[in-house]
Amino acid sequence: MSRDKAITLHVNGRPETTVVPPHRTLLEALRGLGHVDVKCGCEKGDCGACAVLIDGKAAVSCLTLAHSATGREITTLQGLGSTESPHPLQQSFSDLGAAQCGFCTPGMIIAAESLLRSDPDPTEEQIRHALSGNLCRCTGYVKIFEAVQTAAAVMRNAGEAK
Amino acid sequence: MTVSDLDQTQPNLRFSQIGKPLTRTDSPGKATGRTPYAGDYVMPGMLHAKVLRADLASARLRRLDVSKARALPGVACVLTAADMPDRSIATDIPGQTGRARLKTDQQILVKERVRYFGEPLALIAAETPDIAEKARRLIEVELEPIPGVYDPEEALKPGAPVVQGTDNIVATHRIRKGDLEAGFAAADTIVEHTYVTPFQEHAFLEPEVGLAWIDENEVITIRVCTQVIEHFRAVADAVGVPHNKLRIMGALVGGGFGGKEDVTVETYLAILAQKTRRPVRLEFSREESFLGHGKRHPMKLKYRTGVTREGKITALDVQVVADAGAYVYLSPYVLLYCAVNAPGPYRVDNLNVFARAVATNNMFASAFRGFGGIQAAAAYEQQMDECANAIGMDRMEFRRRNYLQTGDAISTGFVPPSAIWTEKCADLAWKALGAPTPSAGPVRIGRGIGACQQSYGRLTFLHDTSEAWVGIEMDGTVTVRSGVTDIGAGQASALAQIAAEILGVTLPNVTVYNSDSQVTPLAGTTTASRALYMTGNAARVAAQGLRDRLAAVAADLLGADPSQIVMEFNRVSVADDPDRGMSIADLVKVCGTRGVHRSELAIFRAPFTDVLDPETGQGQAHPDYAYGAHAIECAVDTETGEVTILKSVAAHDVGQCINRAAVDGQIHGGTQNGLGYALSEEMLYREGRLVTPSFSEYLTPTSMDMPHVETIVLESRSGLGPFGSKGIGEPSMTPVAPAVANAIADAIGVRIFEMPITPERVWRALQEARKRAEPPAAGG
Amino acid sequence: MYAEFDLTIPENLPEALKALGVAGKRAVPLSGGTNVLVDIRSQRIAPDCLLDLGHVHQLRGITVEQGRVTLGARTTVGDLLASAEVARYAPALVEAARVFAGQMVRNAATVAGNVACGSPAADLVPPLLALDAEVTLSSVRGSRKLALADYHVGYKSDRREADELITAISWPVPAANAFGGFYKLARRKGDAITVTGVAVSIGIDGRRCDRARIALGSVAPIPMRARKAEALLEGAEMTPDRIAAAAAAAMEECSPIDDVRATGEYRRHMVGVLVARLINAAIQAASKE
Repeated sequence: MSRDKAITLHVNGRPETTVVPPHRTLLEALRGLGHVDVKCGCEKGDCGACAVLIDGKAAVSCLTLAHSATGREITTLQGLGSTESPHPLQQSFSDLGAAQCGFCTPGMIIAAESLLRSDPDPTEEQIRHALSGNLCRCTGYVKIFEAVQTAAAVMRNAGEAK
Repeated sequence: MTVSDLDQTQPNLRFSQIGKPLTRTDSPGKATGRTPYAGDYVMPGMLHAKVLRADLASARLRRLDVSKARALPGVACVLTAADMPDRSIATDIPGQTGRARLKTDQQILVKERVRYFGEPLALIAAETPDIAEKARRLIEVELEPIPGVYDPEEALKPGAPVVQGTDNIVATHRIRKGDLEAGFAAADTIVEHTYVTPFQEHAFLEPEVGLAWIDENEVITIRVCTQVIEHFRAVADAVGVPHNKLRIMGALVGGGFGGKEDVTVETYLAILAQKTRRPVRLEFSREESFLGHGKRHPMKLKYRTGVTREGKITALDVQVVADAGAYVYLSPYVLLYCAVNAPGPYRVDNLNVFARAVATNNMFASAFRGFGGIQAAAAYEQQMDECANAIGMDRMEFRRRNYLQTGDAISTGFVPPSAIWTEKCADLAWKALGAPTPSAGPVRIGRGIGACQQSYGRLTFLHDTSEAWVGIEMDGTVTVRSGVTDIGAGQASALAQIAAEILGVTLPNVTVYNSDSQVTPLAGTTTASRALYMTGNAARVAAQGLRDRLAAVAADLLGADPSQIVMEFNRVSVADDPDRGMSIADLVKVCGTRGVHRSELAIFRAPFTDVLDPETGQGQAHPDYAYGAHAIECAVDTETGEVTILKSVAAHDVGQCINRAAVDGQIHGGTQNGLGYALSEEMLYREGRLVTPSFSEYLTPTSMDMPHVETIVLESRSGLGPFGSKGIGEPSMTPVAPAVANAIADAIGVRIFEMPITPERVWRALQEARKRAEPPAAGG
Repeated sequence: MYAEFDLTIPENLPEALKALGVAGKRAVPLSGGTNVLVDIRSQRIAPDCLLDLGHVHQLRGITVEQGRVTLGARTTVGDLLASAEVARYAPALVEAARVFAGQMVRNAATVAGNVACGSPAADLVPPLLALDAEVTLSSVRGSRKLALADYHVGYKSDRREADELITAISWPVPAANAFGGFYKLARRKGDAITVTGVAVSIGIDGRRCDRARIALGSVAPIPMRARKAEALLEGAEMTPDRIAAAAAAAMEECSPIDDVRATGEYRRHMVGVLVARLINAAIQAASKE
């Protein structure tokens, strides 16, 4: 007997329906729906490449079941901005060379966004702590810290301007 | 360091594009999640593949029953060695080699003998990943364990199990120079130590993945993450199709570091596409990735150095045993890099190096950033500290008295054609550590330095070439075509910058088409810190040829001499009279009406040499070498053995920076790889079985572990790359681990001779030192 | 991931308990998922049914009432880090939460999950043991409370009945003279499995110790209390000799094994080092008050 069930996920502001079995992870379901900006690096919560925002907080989608994610707001990297209208984190990662191979970048920016939503002015130590579940093998993290700090300043200034 | 030298590190004002920290062309797509990687491609009707692997390291395959798996609804095919008689895959170096291939083929699937843990037994393709996995679990395997050998020194002993061939020796290299015995006789002190380096996993974030299909011309086409599209030939040979019927298309690669230098998923994909005639996708899980590509060779390096009281090295004898694992792959070449670099950037007139790579039933070892040079550096830089200590001389002073200088010959008697600025780099890095951090309580502070000699460009006996095509469109935009794969260091972006600089257009006006074995001119591998040197030069030559033609037309139109033509910021004009000019787009339109050839294909050839003398190792091994240094300050908790890196400074002569941000990025990343190698990354095997197959056991440095890394970039403008550049991909990592080891030894007064230097190893070394220091028990 | 199981997502606690009552042993409760899904993927466990507690919102929250701090079972590690109450009443627990896995796992992983997973390396358990925490187990049959120190009985084995769910973890508000801390020794600083974890809570009355709790992680089949070490301290003057004796006793009572992270010998010595360090740090903190 098939355990497959139709579920509706709210991704980047839009409802999307898919038919999946209970063991399907959110990572697999999102990629199956074409959200390939969510990357698969380890499938066990060690690397953070598959991070998405769930109700505004960073989560590893490989350790979230798709069925469990119904009714929650899911945001992937593409949901934050685009090449035409980038999010300040996307802009600073691009400008400062914080993406090298770029494979960890989606999860890295999602984790950083989750941090900045709760703390708009983090210290470097807080940034390091917030990114401690996101492995990177290319950048040594140095430019990533710079990019998060730069984006935080841009976002604070934009906030003050309003 | 003089003032004029410092000037060399100032921004280069001669260029409009080169040397600037420009946004790489691949950055916006990556930062916004728009960049498709090889694993992001799907096709209608696509099948999903899985690989069944052996769970013993040394065994005979008794039975492999795939009938239940084949019978499962939704399974398209299950293949074993029986379905592909006599098919093997070359594990040799690909591409334009000047030598005959080594006889080093691996069976695609195990026919009888399992030689390493994880060796593939069967391939499955099914309608969904779930069905493929279910089918994998339905395959019945009977393996009969047979005695294996897991230690290379054991493997050398008579009577040891033979992994393959007649003995376990995979490769031997010798380097002999001067008179070793006379050298040791002239020494005041002889220092002898053995250094042990571990396996290392590349730990790129993107596991191996690819998608294969058969196109309208019966071409097996594979979209795959690889450093080397030239493997299309080996894959074609393996599946029995002509070379022009197999096409490998790359994608932006999610990290390589040498781990995507050998064939990974390509052969399996080609076979499955051939059998099913449907598109097939195969993605390794992380655990499979740990089993699916070669590792850095563990080595045991015995160094015996003669030194005088005045601090001169009089003789060096080096004996190396490398664990090659179960198949040959790139072991002979990795070992050669180790042998050539055994003395490092130091003058050694009386030298003997004897290096062997030995087969075991461990995971096969192959390419990894640094390629044998890393292991040598780990040993020679620690040995330099030990020698300085033995004669009671300051470590930096001892090094200064022995550094190679520009114009000096290296171990093979070859004189590198470029500057050797090791001393400058080491001094700058050391000084940049600043005021020492004070020790407190059980926490001791120490400092260490490491320098490196690391080649860029492949072994010259491989006769390496690279091609690039540069064309200009009617609207003044530029197209670069080159087979080069971009593994994250900005290889494609660098080509765009070079073309932009020479043709006088701005970077957004250049698009690079790369990484297609049948459509883009073959550029060779993205390995060996060669992409900028080789393909950058090919692009430079092509762009220059095109520019010359454009400039001739411009000179005619503007009534000037071609030498007076300036092309910059999308405009062409006459030097000294900038108002006399036009847009490059308008110039190209005129070229079009005149039938001027608006593109150029160029080939760049590295120096071609014969192999080194097999008895003395003398001759040329590489085109050139890069030199740099890394300084570390660390804190060691002497009670727990925990190590914290406090300061990290890298100084490298990159010849000429093409993109400062990219150079810094390479150095930061190389530092991370080196710190992990020195401190935390450990692959543990039990009877050949990997017991640390995931990122929760194999520990690469996280954001909490990485120090801030200061970079000092020198530009000697003496390299063989475009505009005098050298490679930086590998050199950035090479000196890091020994600098850490030296800092730890400095902090605690005891050296730990085996990496990684885990807290427990530190603690143990201190315990043993305390025991040695205790007076013998009374009454004895 | 490939596995075959049914998924039940109850809307509230009674529904959850009812479902668990029916499924019993066949079901595994799922909260943050950071252990259970990893174990399923690696085929270490193969439950027929997962009971996802994601909608049981009443199980989340931190309250301080009648001298007790109570954590709802689904309180996450991240919640601990954000809570002023936990910072005030369980600073060692906050230290453990801070070095717990990586940020996204902290956002998802729950206190009850960390207790229930039964890992000897569960980082929250030693500080909770040092706080004399109690586990509340609920089922359709009712609720019961169990000292956390009695909850685990052996490697991956505990006293939870198949129909029971951990619904809360609580501990008494510590006395004003209680000082202590937690230290995680691991092979890297971020996101690592603990080699040796030690939590200490000492009641300090002048130079005398009126209450001692020493809890150890990753050095026995289950997180454990070093009761002999505690006994050596309680009622005694905390001289350097006494502290050394307590550290030595803790080394004696633990039973660490060799694994891929460290040898048992090293772990045992680290227990000695860390216990002494944390006691001395507690004395120092007390002297500053």
